[in-house]
Amino acid sequence: MQNWNQTAPIYQQLADRLAVQLLDGDPPEGEAMPSVRALASRYLINPLTVSRAIQALSDMGLVETRRGMGIYVRPGAREALLKSEREQFLHEEWPALRERLARLGLSAKDLTWESQQ
Amino acid sequence: MNNDNNNLIEASGFTLRYGRKTAVDNLTFHVPKGRVVGLLGHNGAGKTSLMKAMVGLHGGTGSLKVLGLDPMAQRAELLESMSYIPDVAVLPRWARVHELITLMSGLQPKFSAERARKLLKRTSVTENDKVKSLSKGMVTQLHLALIAAIDSKLMILDEPTLGLDVMSRKSFYEMLIDEWCDGERSVIISTHQVEEIESLLSDVMMLDEGKLVLNLSLEEMDSRFVALAHDPAAADAVADAHPLLRYRQQGRPAALFDGAPPAHLDGLGQRFRPSLVDLFMALTRKPEMQRQQA
Repeated sequence: MQNWNQTAPIYQQLADRLAVQLLDGDPPEGEAMPSVRALASRYLINPLTVSRAIQALSDMGLVETRRGMGIYVRPGAREALLKSEREQFLHEEWPALRERLARLGLSAKDLTWESQQ
Repeated sequence: MNNDNNNLIEASGFTLRYGRKTAVDNLTFHVPKGRVVGLLGHNGAGKTSLMKAMVGLHGGTGSLKVLGLDPMAQRAELLESMSYIPDVAVLPRWARVHELITLMSGLQPKFSAERARKLLKRTSVTENDKVKSLSKGMVTQLHLALIAAIDSKLMILDEPTLGLDVMSRKSFYEMLIDEWCDGERSVIISTHQVEEIESLLSDVMMLDEGKLVLNLSLEEMDSRFVALAHDPAAADAVADAHPLLRYRQQGRPAALFDGAPPAHLDGLGQRFRPSLVDLFMALTRKPEMQRQQA
């Protein structure tokens, strides 16, 4: 029943999950997000916590509330997410990975760049 | 309702005694509408006593108002407008489900038989079933369906999922979130399964030996408490900063702080989100157990 870890507040973890889904086009840009109540039910999370997650996505410019209609994915949300994910990779994950590769004595020629499938 | 603010429950200096024993000690709190409040505490901490007081089954001193009413003096009126499952809840074993619906229709002016039937469609309980033929999980679902069909603003659940398997607990909480939590109605739940209700709650109240040791929203909890996982070598520095609790998190030593830990500790470990269980251990354990841990 519990599938939330202790790395970040629950609302943040939900916002991250929803962002990953947006990146996969679920739901597509311009379409409505599931309602707060639907998300609360799907993830068994308090509706106020769900609202905080939606607010976090809204603060990132990914979704917008249309009065009386619900929450919609903003046009350009996917591109904006890709951009911020790329930046995070280049500035945070890549330096850590580079350090680990150096520790293991691996260089670019040791790595397979083409997918095996 | 002579209740012109958003608070469904208001307590001020409320104390409840059994003879010389103080079960609930000088509590001041309020419960607004639209909340899911977890009432946590060890056995004997005062959870059931407080819930009984809220429905007028036990009086106390100080002030306690539920839906704007005095539970002891206006119990009949109060019970018409709230939903309650006590910790010793039993439905008559000989009764069929449709008989219980008829019974509730007669007893509860705000009960909707139509809504009860709709809620039961979520479950595997049918109207012709006898209570004694149902599993414990199904009886609990039935009970929730019956009291959620009362048009009220407040639900009080004392250990509702005690003794249920994990699937039944999940179905129970799904019905609660789907069918009860609409932003207006509130529910207070006492439970020992702290871990699995954490994500359902908007607020938490912790009782320890009758005293309210914590009362805040989960949002406040996120910003107020910080946990730090650190190497064993940093143990002395961490201890000197007087954390609320020192424990282990996935095998690593960890410490829980009320507020940000001192800046010089930040380099010695990684911050993580303390869970409700961590806080529960920090705030409600007996002092002698704290000493053993240290």
